[in-house]
Amino acid sequence: MPDAQEQDNLIALLGAVAHQDRTAFKRLYDRVSGRMYSLCHKMAGQRDLAEEALQDAFVRIWHNAGEYHRDRGAPLSWMLSIARYRTLDLIRARQRHNSDAQDPTEHLEDGREGPLDTQLRLSGADALTGCLEELNHSQRDSILLSYYRGFTHDELAAILKTPIGTVKSWIRRGLLSLKRCLEQ
Amino acid sequence: MKKTPERIERLASEYVLGSLTGGARRRFERWMVDDRRVRQEVRFWEEKLGVLAQVLPEQRPRKQVWNAIEQRLWPEQKQRRSSWIWPTWSALASLAVVILASVLLVTSEESIDTPPHLAGAVVSEQGDAPLWLINEAQRTERLNVRSVAASQADAGKDYELWIVPDDADPISLGVVPVGGTHSVSLTPVTRAALQQSQTLAISLEPEGGSPTGAPTGPILHVVRLYPL
Repeated sequence: MPDAQEQDNLIALLGAVAHQDRTAFKRLYDRVSGRMYSLCHKMAGQRDLAEEALQDAFVRIWHNAGEYHRDRGAPLSWMLSIARYRTLDLIRARQRHNSDAQDPTEHLEDGREGPLDTQLRLSGADALTGCLEELNHSQRDSILLSYYRGFTHDELAAILKTPIGTVKSWIRRGLLSLKRCLEQ
Repeated sequence: MKKTPERIERLASEYVLGSLTGGARRRFERWMVDDRRVRQEVRFWEEKLGVLAQVLPEQRPRKQVWNAIEQRLWPEQKQRRSSWIWPTWSALASLAVVILASVLLVTSEESIDTPPHLAGAVVSEQGDAPLWLINEAQRTERLNVRSVAASQADAGKDYELWIVPDDADPISLGVVPVGGTHSVSLTPVTRAALQQSQTLAISLEPEGGSPTGAPTGPILHVVRLYPL
């Protein structure tokens, strides 16, 4: 978890990047690319797509660093979000490209299937200050699978062998309970 | 769809999670542009769910990723070396001293409608005179390799010259003798590979060259050629 000092460093680096400082950009890359890449890789389940998403994310950070300000939240969260949205876009673009398949699980030939490992579930719960623990198992698992694997409702329904309406309501209610807990 | 606070709250969480897809996702992005409340709600979730990413063990991306980013942002800035060669060749090169290649610029006539004319030099870190000079002979499909200060290979050994493509195995250009200028013929295939990667290497091989068709000995030099 980044401390305040690290936070300030990242903000300073982003500020320099906004002024086209290439050295600062490289330092920023060295500091955060490992975290961003592990998220991209976890979601994509494969190297090529994860690398492409990471590249796109950094090209974007270079062009948009000036848009970052403290109101946007922690700088690392901002950058992780950029990487995550880009990975989601690429995963889904690739699915549309191969969309002859009717069965949504056929999209998962990219290695994203499989249960979420226990360790991740535990540390995820920990990070959200115990709030995930307050959800029931189905809600928690569907949220974590969506987050870490980028699954859509269709994919979750297929993987969890549950009607899509039920999956939607797990996520919806789960997120709502999570928010109530986090706001306390 | 009406923007009620409940709906904003729900859609923002699903947007950040990624379960909001397709047209609904695009519509919600337009809401974000128009409405500060919507953006605030999205920031909340990005911040909160962002901690889930931070518990993943850090995983360094391959070096190529940074090179590709540089290439995309600053294509005018020449890559100093092939991005491919280091991870693959480092094991081979570990026994040898890899002398960094740098470049001497030699004057040349401008060629307008021919492909760029490539040249480079291998210099040692301490040496004054270059070890090898390499240049492409214009319009003759040949590469001239001139040993200047390179020492003779040990007994029973030869130097072998390779083209290092960006994403394929090295292509042998044969053994290069020390002393004088040696001329290597380029076929259309090797010429195209060289134009593309602009990177050569010299390895130390058994007399007569690598028995396998791939470098077997230490890589002594990697040299980047530059268009003149």
